[in-house]
Amino acid sequence: MLSIKNLHAEVDGKPILRGINLDIPAGEIHAIMGPNGSGKSTLASVLAGREEYEVTQGSVTYKNHKLLELDPNERACEGVFLGFQYPVEIPGVSNLYLLRAAINARRKYHGEPEIAAIDFMKLVQEKIDYVGMSMDMVKRGVNEDFSGGEKKRNEIFQMLMLEPTLALLDETDSGLDIDALKVVADGINRLRSPERSTVLVTHYKRLLEYVVPDRVHVLYKGQIVRSGGPELADTLEAEGYANLETDETAATS
Amino acid sequence: MSATQQIEPNIDHYLAEYARVERELPGSDDSKRERQAELRRFSDAGFPSTREEDWKYTSLRPIEKRRFEISDEADTPSEKALAPFLPAGLDAFRIVIVDGHFSAVLSGLDGLPPGATVRSFAAYLNATDGASIKAREIDEEPGSLTAMNAAFFTDGAYIEMAAGTVVDKPIHVLSVASGARDERMTQVRHRYVMGENSQATVIEHFVGVGDNPYFTNAVTEAVMGRNSQLTRCRVQQESDKGYHVSSFFAQQRRDSRVFNHGFDLGGRLARIDTNARLVDQNSEVHLFGVYAPTGRQHIDNHTRIDHATEHSLSREFYKGVLADYGRGVFNGKIIIHRDAQKTDSAQACDALLLSDKAEVDAKPELEIYADDVTAAHGSTVGQLDEDAVFYLKSRGIGEEGARAILTYSFANSLVNKVGIPALVSYIEAALLAKLPGGQAYADLA
Repeated sequence: MLSIKNLHAEVDGKPILRGINLDIPAGEIHAIMGPNGSGKSTLASVLAGREEYEVTQGSVTYKNHKLLELDPNERACEGVFLGFQYPVEIPGVSNLYLLRAAINARRKYHGEPEIAAIDFMKLVQEKIDYVGMSMDMVKRGVNEDFSGGEKKRNEIFQMLMLEPTLALLDETDSGLDIDALKVVADGINRLRSPERSTVLVTHYKRLLEYVVPDRVHVLYKGQIVRSGGPELADTLEAEGYANLETDETAATS
Repeated sequence: MSATQQIEPNIDHYLAEYARVERELPGSDDSKRERQAELRRFSDAGFPSTREEDWKYTSLRPIEKRRFEISDEADTPSEKALAPFLPAGLDAFRIVIVDGHFSAVLSGLDGLPPGATVRSFAAYLNATDGASIKAREIDEEPGSLTAMNAAFFTDGAYIEMAAGTVVDKPIHVLSVASGARDERMTQVRHRYVMGENSQATVIEHFVGVGDNPYFTNAVTEAVMGRNSQLTRCRVQQESDKGYHVSSFFAQQRRDSRVFNHGFDLGGRLARIDTNARLVDQNSEVHLFGVYAPTGRQHIDNHTRIDHATEHSLSREFYKGVLADYGRGVFNGKIIIHRDAQKTDSAQACDALLLSDKAEVDAKPELEIYADDVTAAHGSTVGQLDEDAVFYLKSRGIGEEGARAILTYSFANSLVNKVGIPALVSYIEAALLAKLPGGQAYADLA
């Protein structure tokens, strides 16, 4: 599904990713953990195509595409979804309008006709129940006056509507109460299927109690210094990130 | 050669043009003398120049160098040409002026409630003894272009609401420049006389349809009786060959309210002066405006609110959307006079620059001579939030579409304040149509 080779990226001349190698097979959920500033969010942003990051080396293959050559909107049309750490507010443009435009952009990209209004509304009705949002809420402007938790629910709602093949969730679990966390986890689990993959960028092990990942990777100073099964998250929680310096030496040597 | 010498032949042209058309102009012999005095005021002052502080950013040279003529009759455009300017689903009374002449055929005024008068200004002047070309209730109408209008105007809308009259449908005042002939001018004058406790909504709409350069010079007077309420939606969609200058003067008696919404989408060059004098207690004025110069358009909005006595309120909010080589000016003057204690005033102007070639000068200007007042003001100039652009792109929407949607979002809150759904949709669609990639998202409106 996704194959990252020796990926280097910088922002304003400052290297952030320093040689990432990562393979995510179809059907798997991988968690990326690591201390603040290790490059976790940068990795998600580079994969989604954020322009302020400059890729200086390496390649990313997604399905049969050279991912880095696609515009962000093309990546989205190919099934990549980024769940934002800080979703933006767009007053006056309803959540439903954005979603219909997003679905139709995909359809157009694949040479398909626009979605019928009735089918769209059926889809909305089904998915808002999963995330505990009301019709009134999704008719409001995108994230307009939403609380932090509501914004994250909305990201999951969008993800469920768009049914991505590769979901990149950038700290979607941060700052959530337990109810909202369960909604996020439930959304991720619902999309779990042999055709889809998910990358969870997270700071906390808490989410991984509800979404059991296939693999856990530790990112430190722009490199993956340790990888393992779900038990690695427990080790990290017990030991913290204190031993990473030695891991880094091991990884680069 | 000095500037004055260059201008003079041009002023001569307008003196000769007045002499040519005077006999045909509406109004009594007395009113012709008023017109002659206004003509002198115009010829003495000439066109405003960029040396004047109020005209610093807007040069009228393109207007001055042409010799515009009054149209003796209207070149009525086809239904097809006008159709795009009739907002779909708008249930309104309609008065139409083409090339400065009232069109009975295009107007629809049946079913007005008793007490509501909507008619041709020319017909009103011709039929009413002692009718004056300028409203006596309005203290002054400064500016040489308003004098030019007073001398030359051929027609317009005369709206009078008797005391207690409420019109529940908007009145669509549509002024069309046919652009059928080269270098024509439409000098239109509207008067809205709002009796005590009356209420009306007027959509004052300027459109241009043809290919020839033309000049629109419009003046609107609003005489606001006690506790009256006027909502005026000024929609300016002159053609890209149109030069547009207009002035609005409201004089407000006790407890009256003016809600003025301006939307400047059209014109090669447009200058709009919006003036409200709050001369009595507890009067309110709300000025909202969206201006969107794209291509090589130049749009200048000057506003002036005079708080002349105590306990009055003003709210003002303008937003500019500037793309391509668009040039915008906003100058919002608020004068709180010495006796205007307890004035409550707030003003903000925001501008969004969509290209690095676009330019805007936005300036709040407060003069406060009273000591117990609330006066807030703010001004911002910015660009689209790139995080928001990326957000939309990450959902599959292309670059131009993302920018059009966010621009729509920027202007939307002010357009919505109009409160007439059919008109809101119409304006939003017209705004989106001006933006690169916006047409694809016209259904946002």
